[in-house]
Amino acid sequence: MKKIAILSGKGGVGKSSIAASLAVMLARNKKIIAVDCDVDASNLALVLGLKADAFESWQPVQTSEKAALVPEKCTHCGKCKSVCNFGAITWDEKKGEPIFNELLCEGCGACQLVCDADAIELKKVENAKVGFGKTKYGFYIVSGQLNMGEAGSGKIVSVVKEQAYELAKKEEVEIALIDSAAGIGCPVIASVRDADYGIVVTEPTPPAFSDMKRALSVLDHFGIKYGIVINRYDINKELTEKMEKFANAHDIPVLEKIVYDKKFVDALVNLTPIVTYDKKYEKIFSNILAKVLDHL
Amino acid sequence: MKIAITGGKGGTGKSTIATALAYALSNKKKVLLVDADVDCPNDHLILKMERKKIKTVTQMIPKWNFDRCIKCGRCSEVCKANAIVFVQGKNPIFVPEQCSGCGACIIACPTKAISESSKEIGTLFSGKYDKLNFLGGELRPGEIASEFVVSALMDYVKEESKEKNYDFIIVDTAAGTHCDVISALGGADLTIAVTEPTPLGAHDLGLILELTKILNIPTKIILNRSGIGNNTLIQNIAKKYGVDIITELPYDKHIIEAYSKGEPVKSKYIDDLIEKIYETKPETVKK
Repeated sequence: MKKIAILSGKGGVGKSSIAASLAVMLARNKKIIAVDCDVDASNLALVLGLKADAFESWQPVQTSEKAALVPEKCTHCGKCKSVCNFGAITWDEKKGEPIFNELLCEGCGACQLVCDADAIELKKVENAKVGFGKTKYGFYIVSGQLNMGEAGSGKIVSVVKEQAYELAKKEEVEIALIDSAAGIGCPVIASVRDADYGIVVTEPTPPAFSDMKRALSVLDHFGIKYGIVINRYDINKELTEKMEKFANAHDIPVLEKIVYDKKFVDALVNLTPIVTYDKKYEKIFSNILAKVLDHL
Repeated sequence: MKIAITGGKGGTGKSTIATALAYALSNKKKVLLVDADVDCPNDHLILKMERKKIKTVTQMIPKWNFDRCIKCGRCSEVCKANAIVFVQGKNPIFVPEQCSGCGACIIACPTKAISESSKEIGTLFSGKYDKLNFLGGELRPGEIASEFVVSALMDYVKEESKEKNYDFIIVDTAAGTHCDVISALGGADLTIAVTEPTPLGAHDLGLILELTKILNIPTKIILNRSGIGNNTLIQNIAKKYGVDIITELPYDKHIIEAYSKGEPVKSKYIDDLIEKIYETKPETVKK
């Protein structure tokens, strides 16, 4: 199975809209699975017209642990506070006890290891749910949603991918289309690091251009091949030209330039991918896919 | 007063509004703009501002002295980030990209064969745009520990604001609801969630309102690009969480133009927004 990841650095440039249309077009000729790795704000299923309550199943997952105090055992030494590198332990001066901030606790266990009195427990917490459902376009999508205030999106992304790959094996899927989160940090790296190809979506604004370069350096870092899609290229043609020059100079294929079209928003409001909403986009997305498949 | 600008979904206009608001406020007040989107910092690009490097952010990583290592595998056992691979009878292998910098391996090692070392993971910057002061952070691409860069930035902001006594600190957060965002929201007096009237905007707004409820931070909504989709979607979420829509910004070509040129947006809507912010916290801010 080949894995194609879609990322952008900057949010809101059309990543999920484009991913959804690519999935629909790709599914016409190949057996695919869509994987929504934006576990902070999972949107791909919505764009494909599948609401969370229409999923076949949702399973709670526990990938994180939180430290908690056993007060009667605490000897008030303060070692736990001094080893916490995440600022999750503050000191209750009155009681002479640590206070654990669950939102900041990484569950690394350093405090438990350093505690001579065995006064700290690590408790497993349910920090996300992962689910799958079948879209009306005939393929499965796997999504995850981090529980609010829980840390560790990167680990959840790994669980989402594991489950997706398992399902893909059963379904004899040829291509997994992975939609990553915005940014370039932990969850994005977890989303893209095993990909065979990265599609970086951008637009001609200085922030999106800068973020695109940052996304490309992440792909370079992991040795992943990539191409770019310039969305809404006509909102600033001068900058688009600059971006194309940049791509040329660095041997980066520009897979497609897509016009600014209010129909994208209309399609979104109707929970329909643009290729289904307006057939004229079919060709554009087929073009992108032809180029990507060629590079695989 | 510390105001955090967030929103869940990316690209709803957080940075545009944060820079416009900070710039407008800085006419009359002492203002610090903080770009806490360390994955993809953009505020300096919107303001076309030169940034000065002020600090390198490092993350602790372990370093082994294999002369002391007894190959017990304890370090690998305690590492929850799977950054230490151990095969019986061999020296442990360290995978730096996976390391979260917790230091559990150092504590666990029975022979003190592991010591603290560090690697560079990001940079902090300062800057100035007219009277507006700026601090921001940037993650080095390929690194995972963006939250360390955010918390280093927020610590720096805290220290600096002690001396400088800002009237307003405007914090621009990353998209999402992850640890970077939680760190950036810390200590805010008011959170403004910027959203757009699409199903995705509405969905992600619900998530961020859930988060600010847990963090117990007063929150208001800005409905940006009002009218491009369906405003009712956002009004329903606002009602569900009992959060006010403080202002609606219409879709405006001037804003897009200013944005793609690299200028802060000046608009009567921003002036109105400032009025409304004063109304939310009259006791802490004097006009």
